[in-house]
Amino acid sequence: MADVTHTPNAPPRHLPAGTPPILELVNIAKYFPGVIANEHVSLNVFPGEIHALLGENGAGKSTLMNVVTGLYQPDAGEIIIDGYGTTFPAPDAAISAGIGMVHQHFRLVPRFTVAENLHLGWSETPKRLSAKDIEARAKALSTKFGLPVRPSAIVSSLSAGEQQRVEILRVLSRGARLLILDEPTAVLSPVEVGELFSALRRFRSEGGAVIIISHKLDEIMALADRVSVLRQGRLIGTHQVADVTPDSLVTEMIGRPVALATSYPRQASAPEVGKAEPLSLQQVIVRDNAGVVRLDNVSLSLRPGEILGIAGVTGNGQPELAEVLTGLKDPESGTIFLNGKAVNRADPAMFAHAGVGHVPEDRLKRALMPGLSVAENMALREYDHPPIGGKFSFSMPQARKFAQMLADKAGVKLPGTQVQIRGLSGGNQQRLVLEREIRIASHVLVASYPSRGLDIGAISAMRDMLARARDAGVAVVLMSEDLDEIFALSDRIAVLYAGRLMGIMARADAGRDSIGALMSGRSLSEAA
Amino acid sequence: MSAVSHRTRLTVVPSYRIAVGRGLSILAALSVVAITLAAMGRSPIELAALVVRSTVGSRFGIEDLALFMTPLMLTGAAVWVGIRVNLWNIGAEGQLYAGATAATAIGLFTHWPALVALPAMIVAGMLAGAAWIFVPAAARAWLGVSEIVTSLLLNFVASLLVYYLATGPWADRVTGALASTERLHMAFPELWGAVHLGFILALATVIGLGIGLAKSRFGYETAVCGSNPQAAHYAGIGVAPRILAVLLLSGALAGLAGVFEVAGTVHRLQGGLANNYGYLGIVVALLARGSCLALIPAALLMALILDTGIVLQTTQISSSAVLAITGLLVLAIAAGDELAAYVRVNRT
Repeated sequence: MADVTHTPNAPPRHLPAGTPPILELVNIAKYFPGVIANEHVSLNVFPGEIHALLGENGAGKSTLMNVVTGLYQPDAGEIIIDGYGTTFPAPDAAISAGIGMVHQHFRLVPRFTVAENLHLGWSETPKRLSAKDIEARAKALSTKFGLPVRPSAIVSSLSAGEQQRVEILRVLSRGARLLILDEPTAVLSPVEVGELFSALRRFRSEGGAVIIISHKLDEIMALADRVSVLRQGRLIGTHQVADVTPDSLVTEMIGRPVALATSYPRQASAPEVGKAEPLSLQQVIVRDNAGVVRLDNVSLSLRPGEILGIAGVTGNGQPELAEVLTGLKDPESGTIFLNGKAVNRADPAMFAHAGVGHVPEDRLKRALMPGLSVAENMALREYDHPPIGGKFSFSMPQARKFAQMLADKAGVKLPGTQVQIRGLSGGNQQRLVLEREIRIASHVLVASYPSRGLDIGAISAMRDMLARARDAGVAVVLMSEDLDEIFALSDRIAVLYAGRLMGIMARADAGRDSIGALMSGRSLSEAA
Repeated sequence: MSAVSHRTRLTVVPSYRIAVGRGLSILAALSVVAITLAAMGRSPIELAALVVRSTVGSRFGIEDLALFMTPLMLTGAAVWVGIRVNLWNIGAEGQLYAGATAATAIGLFTHWPALVALPAMIVAGMLAGAAWIFVPAAARAWLGVSEIVTSLLLNFVASLLVYYLATGPWADRVTGALASTERLHMAFPELWGAVHLGFILALATVIGLGIGLAKSRFGYETAVCGSNPQAAHYAGIGVAPRILAVLLLSGALAGLAGVFEVAGTVHRLQGGLANNYGYLGIVVALLARGSCLALIPAALLMALILDTGIVLQTTQISSSAVLAITGLLVLAIAAGDELAAYVRVNRT
């Protein structure tokens, strides 16, 4: 089935036959100790094309792009640019060949202005210039490439979408003809996704080429001209997007068909939804450091054996809600009840000991110590009691054993428990955090965007884990920007808008339209 | 196929590569020293023979090495426990003075038996070292004030305070020695020539510290705080108290160095007693990298350099040579560590 449409060398249909590719990869291979990261990968990218690269976590997408951008040297194979074989001994060689990459984690200096970031490390930056000059130059670049940015703004004050525009602008201003984007939509709001896509389409219409790495099939179907699928380091197929369906892509990616379930019915043996409230909020108000109200008079209660879905556009109070629910933040006013008792002071240790697990939004920043080993990271929730530790002791051998056990359960293949956790892929980090948190979540599990960065196979496993926790009587809070996910898993659905809870309804009573209306801030009566 | 680069950088460097890299670095640094000496018209071979004879080649030389190593191991450990959790105690020099001052107070003004006085000196010296860093530590823990500047500045206060005591209220009125107190009434027992019990205790402290941090909950929790304070908060580990604890421990270790120095080696509180041991502790800690036990060979190397400097001085070579050689060695070792991370890629 897949082979019929596998046409690796034909340009996208909207380009004339015989268009020469801008980039050809021939039989690229890259090996790491004990791992085949890439082998026999051959790929063409044409000017005027958006080419999607698809694959599970650890399929070799990032390695391949690191080869193309000169970060890694291939162990075999050829890189051909505009018909000439070439090598990139270092990233600057790839940049001068017109290849630019926008990483998932932005490489900007947060304290510098947009204009300063654009001019940093650029051979065309004049030797002597004032802040005014570079801002004028930044403005000109912004107009030239049709990417609106504010040149004098400090980067750390910008939203993720704005930062990404700066990053793209920086790459384009260095003359990139091939733009590589690694999961560019993961951190964007829906509106920002739309803006990004129209910028990419404009770049394509001017003869630019784009390689986009994404897990989101609907985005690939909407945006890309062709799609290549990697599995276990090898290229499985390259297709015209018009010839494939999301289902066929998933089958190719995983090696078997996986459909995400649209509902997760309770096991017959699972206890009914309980009446007790392990955790509840009463009229909670939270302000951020700038004094802006982030949670506005929120009251809600969790029930054991139930999944409460929190829908809402990113940035409407979700992180603050998660922090209040897990004892990381004190509300300005209002009360938190943990197992029926009012909490006086935010104390994450107390919440954890009471059986509250937390999968935070930004795992690397909050839930992991990037520079420490996998073993030390996995011990974070259970280091204070046997077998890993005690009142004074800590046993590294036990921590390693424990980490290996968690990794086996999560289906993560580790190169060893002593390696730094920052060396693992984002998907594997997420799986390990999820496994660790579900273990301690005997009463409550707060999961913020748990599917971020996961491939479809891992998402399916993650959802099964949440459903199993629910069946075991855990009160689960699921925050997600993916309405399908909310609808598939939730028993009740609440909507956050501008820090306000726009009503909680049973899954059966919730419709997509009404939830969508609430997410945009209209009340139900207005929507009706 | 066209040529591609044959080397790649390892994220985790095996220790044998580091060892080989450092061996070569030390060799390279010594060659530069030899060439420089030759250019000055000295014979590097003769000087080297002299240095070897007067350090490892003689009983007195070895005793001297052990005496240098004693404070260096402890100030090295003081800096090392901080670096381990991303804190930089640049004030070991001052804490050493504080520890020495506390021990001197007991040594001058009590007539307790040694079995009481010596443990009392150790406790008082460690407390004084910890007290000397208390304000910088608390300011770092709760207010986020950089400990680098505050701990450094207190060095000058401590040094001047010791000069004041040694020339003023505690000055030696008997022999009239310059900037020095009288001889202390008790000392750490000498075990082997001039090498005193402090050497064994310093060695034991470093070994105990290494084992203790690796196997204790405190060691784990502080590692988490150092690596990612946000994750520590998430796990319910209070970051500020642990920053304070680590820095107090660091100050106490440096204070202990002062106790052994004054009550084991020098026997008097003198101006300039610290002899840069506090600053050299930074070098020792950096040489030891992630391993606490590596502080011992690192301190030995530093002691060798100090001793070499003294030997060279007897041959009319400037005492600044010590600093030059130290700098050269640190530079060579930093380069060696970096180069050791690159391996040839096997191509298929």
